[in-house]
Amino acid sequence: MIRSRAVVLKGHGFSRAGMIHPKRLRALVPEAPFRLLIVLGVLFAALPMPAQVLLDCHFVPGFEQSGPKRQYTPDNLFDYRDGAAEGYLIYSFARMQGIDCKSGSTILSLDVSDMSDADSAYGMFSANRDSRQPIAKIGMGAQIMPQSLLFAKGKYFIEIIETDGSTNSNQAANLQAFAEKIEPLLDGRSTPPEELAWFPQEGQESAKLVPESVLGLKILKRGYVAKYSQGQAFIVVEQSPESAAEVMNKLRVRFDDASSARLGDEAFQLKAPYLEGICIFRKGRTIAGFANSPDPQTASTEAAKLLERLP
Amino acid sequence: MLPVAGAAANLDFLNPDKPAPKFAKTPRLEYRTLGKTGLKVTTVGFGCMITSDPSVITRAADLGINYFDSARGYQNGNNERMVAAALGNKRKDLVLSTKSIANNKEGLLKHLDTSLTELKTDYLDIWYLHSKDAPSAIHDDMIEAQQIAKQQGKIRFAGMSTHALPKMTEWTVDKKAFDVVLTVYNFTMDAKMDEAIATVAKTGTGIVAMKVMAGGAHARRPGEQVDTRMQREGAMLSALKWVLHRPNIHTTIPSMTDMDQLDENLRAMAEEFVPADEQTLAAHLQRIAPYYCRFCGECQGSCQKGLQVADTLRILTYAEGYGQFALARERFNELPAHHTTARCGDCTECTVKCPHSIRVAERISRAQELFA
Repeated sequence: MIRSRAVVLKGHGFSRAGMIHPKRLRALVPEAPFRLLIVLGVLFAALPMPAQVLLDCHFVPGFEQSGPKRQYTPDNLFDYRDGAAEGYLIYSFARMQGIDCKSGSTILSLDVSDMSDADSAYGMFSANRDSRQPIAKIGMGAQIMPQSLLFAKGKYFIEIIETDGSTNSNQAANLQAFAEKIEPLLDGRSTPPEELAWFPQEGQESAKLVPESVLGLKILKRGYVAKYSQGQAFIVVEQSPESAAEVMNKLRVRFDDASSARLGDEAFQLKAPYLEGICIFRKGRTIAGFANSPDPQTASTEAAKLLERLP
Repeated sequence: MLPVAGAAANLDFLNPDKPAPKFAKTPRLEYRTLGKTGLKVTTVGFGCMITSDPSVITRAADLGINYFDSARGYQNGNNERMVAAALGNKRKDLVLSTKSIANNKEGLLKHLDTSLTELKTDYLDIWYLHSKDAPSAIHDDMIEAQQIAKQQGKIRFAGMSTHALPKMTEWTVDKKAFDVVLTVYNFTMDAKMDEAIATVAKTGTGIVAMKVMAGGAHARRPGEQVDTRMQREGAMLSALKWVLHRPNIHTTIPSMTDMDQLDENLRAMAEEFVPADEQTLAAHLQRIAPYYCRFCGECQGSCQKGLQVADTLRILTYAEGYGQFALARERFNELPAHHTTARCGDCTECTVKCPHSIRVAERISRAQELFA
């Protein structure tokens, strides 16, 4: 559910930000009826705002709504996104609301997806953006292309896409205008997941949330991966140091010809099929490392750089 | 006799909390001819849609899986780029397909050129019109686009993917436009789907099955709890073997995200579908039958009190399948008011006959109890 600008008190749908403490309110506005009006006004402004109301083609002059508003949930997203729906589901998709906006022969499709939490929303964005293109500053991050704009803010993933089938137009200005109207109306954080900042930035080509099976290993259930020209770094945060140690034990069983390395609380390195030179370490409840390096020593060196940046 | 799938000895292998074994040895592969295309494909292909790490795809190709499927729309094209990186110079020895959702000739041909660039190849073996569930969704200029692409040597064979083959069968057979049909198919399907597949296959059309796990190992949709159990009990492997065992299916494209799933799926080619598999799937079907709405629509308009049965069952799955109670209650309260007041117990006999044996009255009452 998309809400008004005010920050939402978890689970209740009412604003906390900007609300004045009752004692302070009484001091400022002595008359009870006026106080009541102010309280009601604040509460009304903070009520959850459905996307049908929020998404408005008039955000950008010249655009009118085309066709009915739409709403999808996990069981019928397939009707709209076809096989690509699976790509939403693995990022904790909860619901989508959208409209089409038309101006002349241009049709822009606006869709706002609730991905359950901000990490998943950013994960969806990172999985769908073209890593060769720059990230723009809208919400947690945006990608502006001639015919599409993607961004994430809070738990929302937003897609604004030209859908009229024309192949050569450049709608970037209109797409950005819509995005800039929608972004302030969405609750939630505007900074990417903190784990991404732990990766060394030098030479980084892309970074994304992998929703399951990091490095293609089921044992590493969910984590972040950053790609570099000579390999990939990864971070998996477990529930506790104990559960992280358990995962390390399982990894040692899988990679039983690994040799120990001196990194963090425990570490090992080896040359493994498909992962090439790899070094995996644990620090507290974080399992991280570097893979697809030319050799284990290089992987260990790169992993050490990552370790230095972990909190 | 080959090892029995679903037997107790297999269960440790399927438990995600157990340390996985090291990489399996060279598997036994099974090949079939993809209809009149003449392409020899492994019966287990690879649906690349949600694979994150290219190493899983690379290893699948190394182990002998020779059919890989992507789509222009998957992750905004990132999927095609990842597949290209994973396959590298192996591509020439493989059968590669992708799909386009564009709905006109110009859009399709532009998508095709982009797909070829992203997949780093000069041609596709199969190029599907993506997700066409009614004949009206396919216009002549779209078929023309596939013909042009063939003439230009950019594709070898034309395909169509669908989730509603029974609705498309007659048209598909008459149109004679496609060399390959990619259809949803799994053990929950009824005889209508078997008939549809048989009719299309009879024309020499290659048949590729998707959604073979009946919701998938990664399902986050209604039935998620069921799927978790299904995985634990080894039914995923049984489900894939069931499809391979059926007539007229030439290959399948289960999605895989890790090496363990790959190893498990490879076993489906090496093992027979045995009574133990049948029992596993039968038990699974029996367990979900009273609850699991397949959205066939047969119940529409059949309630004597005018209740929207399918909608109510769907809403119930939001709460029970997903744990989305608030959403479910919101949706339920959008239904006409009599959905909260009508009592199934007031009817002497329920007029809704679910072809899949869902206990409709019981489920409606459950929805009222939860949301009304």
